[in-house]
Amino acid sequence: MAVASASDPSPMQVLADFGKSKSLRTLLRVLILCFIAGAAVSSRLFSVIRFESIIHEFDPWFNFRATKYLIANGFYDFWDWFDDRTWHPLGRVTGGTLYPGLMVTSGAIYHALRALTIPVDIRNICVLLAPAFSGLTAFAAYLLTNEMTTNTSAGLLAAAFMGITPGYISRSVAGSYDNEAIAIFLLVFTFYLWIKALKLGSVLWGALCALFYGYMVASWGGYAFITCLVPLHSFVLICMGRYSTRLYVSYTTWYALGTLASMQIPFVGFLPVRTSEHMPALGIFGFLQLVAFIYYIRSALSGAQFKAFLFVGLGAVFGLALLALVAMTSAGYIAPWSGRFYSLWDTGYAKIHIPIIASVSEHQPTAWPAFFFDLNMLIWLFPAGVYLCFQDLKDEHVFVVVYALFGSYFAGVMVRLMLTLTPIVCVAAAMASSQLLSTFLSVKSPKVKDPAQEDVTDSLSKKTKQNAGGSLRSANSPYVGVYSFLSKGLVSGIMTIYLLLFVLHCTWVTSNAYSSPSVVLASRMPDGSQHIIDDYREAYQWLRQNTKEDAKIMSWWDYGYQIGGMADRPTLVDNNTWNNTHIATVGKAMSSSEEVSYPIMRQHEVDYVLVVFGGLLGYSGDDINKFLWMVRIAEGIWPDEVSERKFFTPRGEYRVDGEATETMKNSLMYKMSYYNYHTLFPPGQAQDRVRGVRLPDTGPVLNTLDEAFTSENWIIRIYKVKDLDNVGRDHAAAASFDRGHKKKKATKKRGPRALRVD
Amino acid sequence: MKSIAACAAALLSLISPIVTADTNVAGPSVSKATLPSTFKPPQVFKNANLVHVISLEKNFAKEQINVVVENDSKEPQDEYFLPFTSQQMERVGGFEVKDRKDSSLTGFVVEAVEYDPFSTIESDCLRRSHLRLNRRLASRLDTPPAAIQQTDKQYLVYSFSAYCPSIYTTVKQKTEVKLPGSDIPEYTKIASSGDVKEFPQKSGAKLTYGPFHEVPAGAVSPVKVRYEFTKPVSHVTLLERDVEVSHWGGNIAFEERYTLYNQGANLSALFNRVKWAQSQYFNPNSYALKEMKFPLRIGSTDAYFTDAIGNVSTSRFRSNKKEASLEIKPRYPIFGGWKYPFTIGWNADAKYFLRQKTGDSYILNIPFLEGPKQPEGFGYEQVQVRVLLPEGAENVKFHTSIPESSITDVVVDQQKTYLDTIGRTVLTIKARNLHDDFRDRDLIVSYDYTFAASLRKPLVVFGSMMSLFVGIWLLSKVDVKLSSK
Repeated sequence: MAVASASDPSPMQVLADFGKSKSLRTLLRVLILCFIAGAAVSSRLFSVIRFESIIHEFDPWFNFRATKYLIANGFYDFWDWFDDRTWHPLGRVTGGTLYPGLMVTSGAIYHALRALTIPVDIRNICVLLAPAFSGLTAFAAYLLTNEMTTNTSAGLLAAAFMGITPGYISRSVAGSYDNEAIAIFLLVFTFYLWIKALKLGSVLWGALCALFYGYMVASWGGYAFITCLVPLHSFVLICMGRYSTRLYVSYTTWYALGTLASMQIPFVGFLPVRTSEHMPALGIFGFLQLVAFIYYIRSALSGAQFKAFLFVGLGAVFGLALLALVAMTSAGYIAPWSGRFYSLWDTGYAKIHIPIIASVSEHQPTAWPAFFFDLNMLIWLFPAGVYLCFQDLKDEHVFVVVYALFGSYFAGVMVRLMLTLTPIVCVAAAMASSQLLSTFLSVKSPKVKDPAQEDVTDSLSKKTKQNAGGSLRSANSPYVGVYSFLSKGLVSGIMTIYLLLFVLHCTWVTSNAYSSPSVVLASRMPDGSQHIIDDYREAYQWLRQNTKEDAKIMSWWDYGYQIGGMADRPTLVDNNTWNNTHIATVGKAMSSSEEVSYPIMRQHEVDYVLVVFGGLLGYSGDDINKFLWMVRIAEGIWPDEVSERKFFTPRGEYRVDGEATETMKNSLMYKMSYYNYHTLFPPGQAQDRVRGVRLPDTGPVLNTLDEAFTSENWIIRIYKVKDLDNVGRDHAAAASFDRGHKKKKATKKRGPRALRVD
Repeated sequence: MKSIAACAAALLSLISPIVTADTNVAGPSVSKATLPSTFKPPQVFKNANLVHVISLEKNFAKEQINVVVENDSKEPQDEYFLPFTSQQMERVGGFEVKDRKDSSLTGFVVEAVEYDPFSTIESDCLRRSHLRLNRRLASRLDTPPAAIQQTDKQYLVYSFSAYCPSIYTTVKQKTEVKLPGSDIPEYTKIASSGDVKEFPQKSGAKLTYGPFHEVPAGAVSPVKVRYEFTKPVSHVTLLERDVEVSHWGGNIAFEERYTLYNQGANLSALFNRVKWAQSQYFNPNSYALKEMKFPLRIGSTDAYFTDAIGNVSTSRFRSNKKEASLEIKPRYPIFGGWKYPFTIGWNADAKYFLRQKTGDSYILNIPFLEGPKQPEGFGYEQVQVRVLLPEGAENVKFHTSIPESSITDVVVDQQKTYLDTIGRTVLTIKARNLHDDFRDRDLIVSYDYTFAASLRKPLVVFGSMMSLFVGIWLLSKVDVKLSSK
């Protein structure tokens, strides 16, 4: 658009004038936002179109199951839900150990649609919840950016970036029914409300912020990010000498109401006053009271008196607070930092102390290319945007700076936290690019006398004020402007190309990297048509239909949620990983020999054991590749019985072929993976296509398990745990008898004959 | 009569018009009329010549009794009794009667009547008539041994009487058993009376008992056949078939939910994938169900095949001008004793099924069943067909060529679904013990649907949207500010 101050009515001018009417601009803005939301939603539908409307991956299957439970049994039953079909035989207090926000949201949508006589299947609601909320996130990003700059086009750009950036899409494609689906919207919207509250010093906005903070706490464990960032922002503001009653009102309102709201969630409970993660918020709350008090005192006392008071009073209060904190921590009232939190400071911590956290790929430190992959050009526009914030450093700009620093650090520590960085990157990048575009996209070259350029969207007087007060450049040399059409065209052309490339990149990444449900695998037939490998569901459906309703399935914890969701059978361990010992027990059963594993399985009433084996298809995410984690976790609890070293050859190799160590060959996992596998090949040609090795001609022998089901491509193998032998032999003897071997003399241990007395 | 302790019969009427009412046979043989226990059917008929054909080629038994009936008494008779045992009565699927000479005579009404339990058949002016009585028994055939290896052959056993059960004297009769193959390891042999030494005579896949002469009323001679049937004994415990008619969309949506179960022999050892893969290659004949073919009506589109955990990708759907065929493969081969519930559905253009009769009156003609067409047969225990007519459809009547004796319940009620205010009219027909032989039977539904009723939904949606906008506009006019500046 163009500046509308000229006298000659060129066509461009007419267009610009046309765009000046306020209602039309509102309409355009609404339309553009609607289109952005549409783009955000539709770019997340790749997997639905390519595959089907299905819940993805692992955790979403639990959320889906919990949502179905909520819908079937109502809210109060959901709240009190004790799930005896997971963590057998312990069970899980599910209602008290989950973040209910997601399920309640989709439950509410479900019932609202029912009330409008639109009975949509709950599965479709769950699948499409994340895309729908991404549209709202784009809107929230628009609002947040608008608080940072007066340039509304920056908001629109931020909304567009937020809508399609892969960093956010990665966790919000259709079917990715995870807490992050709604949490990112809540995160951005809470920050927007916080900025609004801070700007206006309004109790209403502060309360709204607390309300959404409460919703956020109900939805995602990442709420701690807000809990730490808002106090940090306030602290930085105070340190910069920017204490104001606005800050006092908004922070205290947010903290008091927000903490109360967060304590309503059973899973959170008293954590906000008892754990170290929440202490900054409490500390700043106290600190603000102190600062407010000091400001009051200062207005009443003289300079020297005040100085003395400051030293004594502040010192005493700080000393006391610190002492109290240390005392309460050591007395156990306040929990020290949790292990998961330590791993945020020391990326090597988890690997040594908590292998279960380190074994999850999304908890690994981020690789550099991931930033470019997930954010593309935004990552280099991001510093520019942060720099622009320094140009005009108001309270809200301090927030951007603080958020940018904080978010960048955490995104570097954990892949998963890229998600929390993305919103601020979008906001900052949008500010930078809109600044660039509005500078170079003005048709009219400035006249020498005019105080320069740009920004059509605002009226002339406003613009002058902004230029004079805002940018350093205009303060230094007020007559600077872009005169040449060539440079205008060049820069805006290049920018347009970058934007187009960004869209291309986002589409490509979304389509190729983030749209696989991972429950089904796609491959191509020789003629180019799509072939779907559906082994997971084949096996889960078999379990669901052809085993007892309460048959306990033992598998590695990765598959726990899927078994619960798709096969509807009780499991021993699942992705909740709340009990490390129980997981280690399963790890031990998998990594020990049959003689050791069988009693463990009997004690846990295991009926079936499920393993994932990719050897036939070359599917690398199988259990043999995860096996070392099982060994490590088991070793953490039973260092005497399980030893990781024994699974490596003397030369330190992890092998599965004929050269594998005895411990490896005797482990239950190895046996279950390769049992009967060699019979599929001509003699001497049995091959494991994942590890690319030739296997020995004689496969492993299983005595205590029976092969019950193997899926079409052998990805899932299910074994039935044999019952005790009905004539009292041990399983090895019984199995060898069944194979036609002679009964060994040694096993014939018979006591002296005794008269049977009944 | 004497030897058959329990006996039921069908009631047959030549003159009465076809009543599309519900013959109440829900559950184990609940009859319409119960006759006094002292009742004895009058010995007024004589079966001049009777051929009893038992077809066991599919996974259910189909019996056909071709009989020439003679009236012994002076008066014209209108009731012919046919005995069933109480066990048979539970399983009997469709029972139909036809005149062989004149197929246009279709007005036979079959009614089950109980007489401790006993029964009756009614017919008018029966002098000498050629009747064909068809009955299909549900596929609850025994499979000895009950558990077999994955690659073994499966055998079934069927028990029946060498003499066709009748309460009338039969002058001449013969029982033919048609089997799926010549592998018949066991069958009962009975002494012969005539020139042949012993019955049955075996020729290929066919066993013939008889001819027998002058068999007194009620005589039976139990016979058992054990034969190879290495094909799936597919059995649907419950089929729910929804047919949704949309006038606005000009579309008819079909959805069928099957609770499928293989009644064949169970696996004696657990499933072995290697053996299965090999047998697929060398000997594809198996008693596991691995594929089903649904020939749909031409013009069907958008077919889908799903189960409890989502879409099943192993289905193929071809739809062109000549055919519309849906071929589905379950996620895993269904062996004996295994279950696999699934859902299929498709759309069809309403013009193929729906016709406007006069003014506001419409006629819908759809197949009663469209289950898979398998060479080995396909049995249904309970079938529930729901026809969802548009909101406001009235005066619903139906006619079906499915044997009345199979229909257990008919209900017309309402169901609320997408954007309904009063709910759609739903015709629910429940039937039992059907087989894929009935695939071509029609269900004709007539109903009235006025133009005003068809405008209800658009008006309701428009009205509510308008009131929403007006409401918001009114709200925006309300001044809620505490202070006025």
